[in-house]
Amino acid sequence: MSTPALEAIGIRKHWPRAGQVLDGCSVRVQPRTVHALIGASGSGKSTLLRCLALLEAPDEGTILVEGTTAVDGALQRIDDRIRRSVGMVFQEPSLFPHLTARGNVELAPRRVLRVPPDEARSRASAALDRVHALHLTDRHPGDLSGGERQRVAIARALAMQPTVLLCDEPTSALDPMLTREVTSVLRDLALDAGTTMVVATHDMDFVTATADSVDFLHAGRIRVSGPADLLGRPGTDPELDRFLRRP
Amino acid sequence: MPRVLPFLIALAAAMAATADDGLARLRAAGVMRWGCDISGGAPFAFPDPADPDRVIGFEVEIAEDLARRLGVRAERFSADWLALIDAMDADRCDLLINGFEITPERERVVAFSTPYFRYAQQLVVRAEDRERFTSLDTLRGSPIAVLNGSASVASLRSAGVAPELIIEYDDSLAPFTETVLGRVDACLQESFIARFFAGQDPRLALVERTFDPGVYAIVTRRGDDALLAEVNAALEAMRTDGTLGRILQRWGLWDDAQSALGTQRGPITPTIPEAIGAPADEGLPWSLILWSLTRAAAMTAVLTLVSMPIATFAGLGLALVILHGPRPISRICHGYVLVTRGTPLLVQIFLLYYSLPALGAWLGIPELLTWNKVVVGIVCLAANYAAYEAEIHRAALQAIPPTQWDAAKALGLTRWQTIRFIVVPQSWRLSLPAIINDLNSLIKDSSLVSMIGVQELLAVALGIGKASFAVPSMLVAAAAFYLALSLLADWCGQRLERRAAAVRALPEPIQR
Repeated sequence: MSTPALEAIGIRKHWPRAGQVLDGCSVRVQPRTVHALIGASGSGKSTLLRCLALLEAPDEGTILVEGTTAVDGALQRIDDRIRRSVGMVFQEPSLFPHLTARGNVELAPRRVLRVPPDEARSRASAALDRVHALHLTDRHPGDLSGGERQRVAIARALAMQPTVLLCDEPTSALDPMLTREVTSVLRDLALDAGTTMVVATHDMDFVTATADSVDFLHAGRIRVSGPADLLGRPGTDPELDRFLRRP
Repeated sequence: MPRVLPFLIALAAAMAATADDGLARLRAAGVMRWGCDISGGAPFAFPDPADPDRVIGFEVEIAEDLARRLGVRAERFSADWLALIDAMDADRCDLLINGFEITPERERVVAFSTPYFRYAQQLVVRAEDRERFTSLDTLRGSPIAVLNGSASVASLRSAGVAPELIIEYDDSLAPFTETVLGRVDACLQESFIARFFAGQDPRLALVERTFDPGVYAIVTRRGDDALLAEVNAALEAMRTDGTLGRILQRWGLWDDAQSALGTQRGPITPTIPEAIGAPADEGLPWSLILWSLTRAAAMTAVLTLVSMPIATFAGLGLALVILHGPRPISRICHGYVLVTRGTPLLVQIFLLYYSLPALGAWLGIPELLTWNKVVVGIVCLAANYAAYEAEIHRAALQAIPPTQWDAAKALGLTRWQTIRFIVVPQSWRLSLPAIINDLNSLIKDSSLVSMIGVQELLAVALGIGKASFAVPSMLVAAAAFYLALSLLADWCGQRLERRAAAVRALPEPIQR
């Protein structure tokens, strides 16, 4: 078996107000696969993704990116060089409103990877093209629709050419029309053989169509883990059945 | 401000003990720096109404003659009258010639020469009250206006006038105006000032009997004994050879009381027209006045335009350190903001201008800590406003949603890169309107640096106004200049805001 692109072992995390949110979660994402995180709201999906994105240091546990330890419980400092190899798309696009779509996308390659301006520009164009947003290049986020913003946010993450792209319910803030527009972009990315993705989502159609593997989170623990077709079999786990509204 | 003075005087006096021999330094420099307040009005040292750039007055002539006798050049130093002693202690000047009465309180902190002028107190009342009020006794129970800190105050107190009836003004012309307007029933001034300001005004009458005579003398630092001896020798010569008598005659100040000081009258000399003190509203030299006001407005603009950008950027730096700096430095910066915002700008200006050089002398580095008054003014305005701007920036920086920080962090931007490329470009747009507002208020606050003698708009307007008996018209003229500067600032601000607003901020709901 090859080295996982992203691996988390025994992640525990508590928030001062919410208490224990993750209670020993382990996730293994193989390269060039799509991994789905499913679970009800409040099950800990977002916190797990934030830990995987190296935005939060877990209280306990280890996270490895391509076999290199990025975080372990004792070491709270996260290496910036490893963090940039994990891309993240948030529920809200969180675009930088003072920059154009291109400015948003080329900022990190230029400032973080120190790519020359010309190359950063062509990288930005390529990334925008991948999300069908090349025509939005010179627009500011304030002039874009919600779906367009989310697509630019995906392009922004792609331009860093991350080892793994994490998506935290990227359509939850959108209406059905716009959801379809973003989902189709994500589906294209997911079906693209080169991409490694972790997607937290409620959208079971999306999971069945694209995911290779799946983790079901309930109350801070992973109750079901395995290939995506596991979801098709009732009786694996009562909580999963309840979540999927199966009798 | 008078409340901070005792403290400042004590501080400066304690440090001035280290001062070395003033005469040797004065001779070595070839300059006698004499201090006065040119906004104090005629006939001491004041802007010539016919040419506001020229300072004239009987004390100007005494100072020039004194310098000539000492074999050096006279150089005038101007500051607010109440700050002159501090200025001398801070070595901004060598001696003071500006109507300083010899009082026991002052003798504790400075040394006085022999007197050069003798005066008495004289009451001025409204013309229609001339029969009613004929002495201080007939005014029992009436409020009386005086010049703040002058001998008239002590005079009224020793005569048993209740403190609440002694109304003090910072301005020598105000007591007369207040009497005319009926806010007080009389004002008390030195007799020659009363004659100068009220003698030609049909609405006012002088109460004939004068009382409480006193004298003016030149002020030097305590311990400058050699300088004081030279000044006294020169004054003695001026008194006996008729020079002083002639100067006093020229300014219409001669009376027989002067002989009591040993002053010879000298040859009969006509009084010059500037000394008559007639209201000259019809004949104001407006073109010269406007030219003076324009240059003073330019000084105000320079003070503002230099200090505001410094304040803006320093404020941003302070806010960033307070929010993101290491804890001890952040605490220090927060303390700076609290102290600077919590104390009057005027006190800060005084401390920097008068106490810093004294501190420098004490530390043995006087040159390093003795700054030019315009520099002190700019530093004070910038440092004071930086504290206010820091709060504006802090609020704007905190208004940037945390999701922006998350997005930047996820892209691998460092904290500093996030501040530089993401947060500050956005917070700047939020803070701009408040900064423009402060710029507007700084234009007017800049007039406070006139306390240390910077000839900015308000000080120049007041000086000309008092010298030409046209304070209200000069204040209106100054207000028009201030309004023009303020409108200009607003116009520039609007352009900046429009440029910033060209990029619409994203109205993003914060979920979670």
